[in-house]
Amino acid sequence: MSLGGAANRPFYRIVAAYNKRARDSKYIEQLGSYDPLPNIHNEKLVALNYDRIKYWIGCGAHPTKPVAKLLGLAGFFPLHPMTVTEAERRRKKAELEAAAAASERPEEAKESQLEQ
Amino acid sequence: MFQALSKTVRAPVARILAPRAVLVETVRGRKSRTDPKAKSKIGRIKYPPPVDPEEMVVLKERFTEYTLIMRALRMQFKEEMLRKRYDEETGSLAEARAKQEAEEHQSLMAWNNQENERLRKIRELRVQQEQEQLDRQLREVALARQQALEELVKEKELEILTLQEDAKTFITLENLDQRIEEALDNPKNYNFAIDKEGRVVKKTVMQ
Repeated sequence: MSLGGAANRPFYRIVAAYNKRARDSKYIEQLGSYDPLPNIHNEKLVALNYDRIKYWIGCGAHPTKPVAKLLGLAGFFPLHPMTVTEAERRRKKAELEAAAAASERPEEAKESQLEQ
Repeated sequence: MFQALSKTVRAPVARILAPRAVLVETVRGRKSRTDPKAKSKIGRIKYPPPVDPEEMVVLKERFTEYTLIMRALRMQFKEEMLRKRYDEETGSLAEARAKQEAEEHQSLMAWNNQENERLRKIRELRVQQEQEQLDRQLREVALARQQALEELVKEKELEILTLQEDAKTFITLENLDQRIEEALDNPKNYNFAIDKEGRVVKKTVMQ
């Protein structure tokens, strides 16, 4: 994914390039794009050229982690394990926080009752 | 970016359970090799993030599954691509293309021949007409020449005739005496008078 765009406004292009090259330098072919900022309808737009992606993987290209994750979410690849683990971690964290909030509120209620 | 995974993995393959205390060397950054470490960072030891063993086991399993599927996908894409390439170059597609090209060539050649025929006919007509014109011109020239000759001849004959006529009035040795006597007998008066309005007066004082 080569990064482009303006200050505080990133924009990624999904690209087939040589391994040794810098991230944003000359690439062989552009295979899609990814806009990380959500638009008016709260969507993050991703474009993928499946035909050419198939060709390049057949020629022996390897996808990077973010690209693999995107493709997994799109359904072209199997879902990346890290997406699943991230989701699980976040869910656990959310549950913990909810439990903590729930335990705090009864305590506050009890404290306020005691004060009164 | 499609990069080889081996290049991006910098952390060593660690034992899962022991706490990892390894200095991970920096890859990129603002400072060069010879810059000293910042004072606030001298005693800093970087530790990789803690690992949950249960999660790690589950993750390993998921990763093996994932890599398996990825490998299979990769091989399938490779095969698809090779098949497409083969078809393009030596398979049915190539034959169809060759046939189409041959047909096009034939039709174009036929069209070309037709055009050549048409142009040939036009050219022949044109050449014929030019030839006729040339002939006509030649004939006209010949005619004109002949006519000029004839006219010359006619003129010459006329001259001869007039000369012959004139020859009758010439003075020869035989006519000499006669003529002299005639001239002496008939004195001619060539004098005349004319005025500005053009009235001629032939009657003059005679000698």
